[in-house]
Amino acid sequence: MNHATSENNHVSRRGFVQLSLGWMAATFASAAAAAAAVRFLVPNVLFEPSQRFKAGKPEDFADNSVTFLDDERVFIVRQGNTFRCVSAICTHLGCTVNRSNQGFNCPCHGSVFDEQGAVKSGPAPRALSWFLVTLSKDNRLLVDKGQQVAADKYLVLTV
Amino acid sequence: MTAPFLKRLWQAFANTRVGRSVFRVGLPQSRLEQAQAMVSSFLLHMQPAKVSRHSLRASYSLGLGLISLYLFFILVGTGILLMFYYVPSTQKAYDLMKDLQFVVSAGLVIRNMHRWAAHLMVTFVLLHMCRVFYTGAYKRPREFNWVLGVGLFLLTLGLSFTGYLLPWDQLAFWAITVGTNIAGYAPVVGPKLKYLLLGGNVVGQEALIRFYALHVIVLPGIAGLMIAIHLWRVRKDGGLSRPDETGDIVQEIPLGQLPTNKSYGLMELARGTTPQVGLNPDDEVLAWPHLIFRELLLFLATVAVVLFLAVFWNAPLEELANAIHPPNPAKAPWYFLGLQELVSYSALWGGVVVPGALVTALVLLPYLDRGRRGVGRWFARERVVANTLFTVCLLVAIVLTVIGTFFRGPNWGWVAPWKQPPAITEGH
Repeated sequence: MNHATSENNHVSRRGFVQLSLGWMAATFASAAAAAAAVRFLVPNVLFEPSQRFKAGKPEDFADNSVTFLDDERVFIVRQGNTFRCVSAICTHLGCTVNRSNQGFNCPCHGSVFDEQGAVKSGPAPRALSWFLVTLSKDNRLLVDKGQQVAADKYLVLTV
Repeated sequence: MTAPFLKRLWQAFANTRVGRSVFRVGLPQSRLEQAQAMVSSFLLHMQPAKVSRHSLRASYSLGLGLISLYLFFILVGTGILLMFYYVPSTQKAYDLMKDLQFVVSAGLVIRNMHRWAAHLMVTFVLLHMCRVFYTGAYKRPREFNWVLGVGLFLLTLGLSFTGYLLPWDQLAFWAITVGTNIAGYAPVVGPKLKYLLLGGNVVGQEALIRFYALHVIVLPGIAGLMIAIHLWRVRKDGGLSRPDETGDIVQEIPLGQLPTNKSYGLMELARGTTPQVGLNPDDEVLAWPHLIFRELLLFLATVAVVLFLAVFWNAPLEELANAIHPPNPAKAPWYFLGLQELVSYSALWGGVVVPGALVTALVLLPYLDRGRRGVGRWFARERVVANTLFTVCLLVAIVLTVIGTFFRGPNWGWVAPWKQPPAITEGH
């Protein structure tokens, strides 16, 4: 580095250009390498189950029932001829809530939700999510976990 | 009186041509050569040639840092062995745990040793931090070594967390679920960080292999490097803190006095400091045998305790991971139960803000608390304010942990530990 600095520690013009180009190149190369490494770790393709699924025939669910679907971690709520679907995933830290007499309880950190999924107590920041329920052409309940709806939005079957 | 047979054999070998080629120098004949031998051997040069009597006192350091180091060695050793069987597959991982327990020779003891050494390492790193605090040993010139120590404490927790995910039992699955969701509460980067950690949106194969890579190479690699720097700094900062350190025990050479026309480059940034050896020669003894013998003895004791625990108590293994239902209550290992109690009030405050503030306070501590008095003594009167603050924080952490451990039952509700837990009546 002798030639880059003169004796009095004054940076010469050539030395300044060389140093700044060198540092810029080094910074750019490190930043690019770091960015590529982080981007490499973000998957481009996911092999995850579909957000949309068929929950079965409407008549499979008894009147005034709340049924837990294991694989999908949702509850199907039937009241008369209305159908709704509520998420069983606690909005706090992702545990599966259990059905209780007055709503839903989370076993991990004690959040309590009412029948409408609203938070009654505990650390949960939001109400449980309700998902869009439609009827497929082959007469099955079709739930889309990608589409959240209000708690009072029902699928009404007119038989 | 002639030396024992083994010693004579050793002496004979060390003085042959081959022996000299291995050890570089022959057997030391004088005190001077004994000190020189320390410097000329790779393994021994990590130790000082001479050491203060005060630093040898077990009642001062309690050997907590060394025990932590030895536990790290045990963890690396047993961990490498476990890697020969373990496969980070959600299909296979749990079965392989059972194989280790029931089929592989010594598999049970090696897995037990790994788990108990991990629990002990969390304990001893924490105790070591308390020792350094209560003796004021983080003060100048050791500020940065305290910062490295805080980093090593976090790495120890990170290694424990990524480690207990690997068996893919109930504890593992729901710990990943809860842990990555806490990461999701981090400001700005939270959701992206969660996606990156899981390698997707759901807890599954991608997440397991990510935490495996972190556990077996990334975190231990960083920890190993930081331990090396931590130990090197202990030497460079003048050994263990002592009460007789008068002012700066390191001799500072101002940067400007170094010849700047030489190509030292980055090295010029280092302080021109050396521990002042021989400041108080009467108070110093040769590292061999006084220090190294104690170190080896402590290593033996650490291995013995871990082996004892591993032979008589089995490492926990819960049921196979059930992606649908967490256990009720779902409890983290003891060292995270205080945190779990905190997040049961608020995920953002308990999981991100409070821990973040605590870590920041610990890192800044040596730069904020700049008083020079009361160093090198336990609970020095001059440090009563700092010691009280630290003790209060420690007590809060202990109380939270005790609550999380004993006073929380199903649905994280309050229970009295001396009563039969209430039956869980609800279900699906």
